[in-house]
Amino acid sequence: MAKIEDLKEEAKKLLREGKVKYIIGYGVGSNGWMANPVFVKKPEDVDALVWDPTCVHNLTRFLVDEKRRKGKEKQPDTRPVGIIVKGCDSRAIVVLLQEKFIDRKDVYILGVSCEKAGVVDEKKLAKKLAGKKPSQIELGDKDQFIISTAEGKTEVPVAEILAERCLECKANFPVIFDLMSGDKTKRTPEKPFGSIEQTEALSPEERWNFWKTELDKCIRCYACRSVCPMCYCDECVVDSINMAVAADTTAEEKSEKIKWIQRSPESSENFVYHMVRAIHLGGRCIDCGECERACPLDIPLRFLNKKLEKEAKELFGYEVGFDVSQPALISCFKDSDPEDFIR
Amino acid sequence: MAEEFEPRIVAFLCKWCSSAGSDLAGVSRMEYPANVVPIQVMCSGSISPLYIFSAFNRGADGVLVSGCHPGDCHYIKGNFYARRRLKMVKQLLEYVGLEPERFRMSWVSAAEGTKYTQIIKDFVKELKPLGPQTKLRRTT
Repeated sequence: MAKIEDLKEEAKKLLREGKVKYIIGYGVGSNGWMANPVFVKKPEDVDALVWDPTCVHNLTRFLVDEKRRKGKEKQPDTRPVGIIVKGCDSRAIVVLLQEKFIDRKDVYILGVSCEKAGVVDEKKLAKKLAGKKPSQIELGDKDQFIISTAEGKTEVPVAEILAERCLECKANFPVIFDLMSGDKTKRTPEKPFGSIEQTEALSPEERWNFWKTELDKCIRCYACRSVCPMCYCDECVVDSINMAVAADTTAEEKSEKIKWIQRSPESSENFVYHMVRAIHLGGRCIDCGECERACPLDIPLRFLNKKLEKEAKELFGYEVGFDVSQPALISCFKDSDPEDFIR
Repeated sequence: MAEEFEPRIVAFLCKWCSSAGSDLAGVSRMEYPANVVPIQVMCSGSISPLYIFSAFNRGADGVLVSGCHPGDCHYIKGNFYARRRLKMVKQLLEYVGLEPERFRMSWVSAAEGTKYTQIIKDFVKELKPLGPQTKLRRTT
């Protein structure tokens, strides 16, 4: 994995010269080994930044929050925000730029390469260690992770504890950056859509049962929505109850407000919510896997997004998050788009 | 004897072509099944995927989206956008396990009253053996 010493130097310089407002990066978490997002505001705090295989988060979500905050300030600080991104996160920035949600000059991108590996899956790791607490995880030279625990070092092949999405990753280094650290060797996954093969092979009835079991678990905490860098609508369709209710709003007015989806966690409503979210992310999801990681009930939300990513690629030849100048999937069309379902 | 199942179809028809086409079928006194609830929209491109999910959620057995033929759109290219977007919707509906026959799209021009009646007839015929749509239907 890339060493980020040179990035730290640059970060220090940027902060000292006041070229960036602050830097969003990874630091050591409160449990001592898992990375956490950190916000570095002073040059002397730059040493808090780390880069290791536990940096699972997609920090671009904070750019969305930053834009919101800036919009509310009377005299906003217009300096860019520095951000440390992996390959997948950088594609999220590409999509945000494509949609003109953020401006290129508002962000200073410090890229890091995942090189041959990626980030670990917490659950797989916990299983592997069977209760032992790691103190540090590093990437070795021979496709293995070196995990230090209190009992010594263990070596685990990368493929065993790598996050699912990293096994299917098409961009193991940032596609857009101002400064990058690490190797730019492109890696091609064997099965870019391997994770959904199993569900795709099921019969429609079995697939229905699969999704019914999974989506019935949903408690509608909206963690998937909160963590997603692409879910930036000012008012979400499921929140249609948050209309401005004043003292003189009549019951009639309230009842006339369309409720597309009810908030109760029932099967049918969960289906509509997750389908709407999937379709809103169709051709935008960059597969950072945050929704699935944040989900407290382990619903395989990635499958829905991955499926639409696959359809976008196969039907329309559209690959998400590689080209800023490309129009978004559903804001363009070709004469040759498939028409087989239309009579 | 139990009554035969009559599917309920929600049809989103574009104002300029398909809605006029269904009108033509009406004023020409063509016969076609009365299972359709037509909803006029300004353009097939204005149909949000949410309309379709919502229709199924509120108990539709089938959803039809109909617009102008490619190249005939009143807004020049609305139906091209619709085609792309609704293909994704169709793939998603299939992926979660809904019968693919339940969602359908068609191009019907203002002069194609006969085609419109034929589409409805076929749709009803295909939906009948499937029975009521209960998967996405709201229960409470």
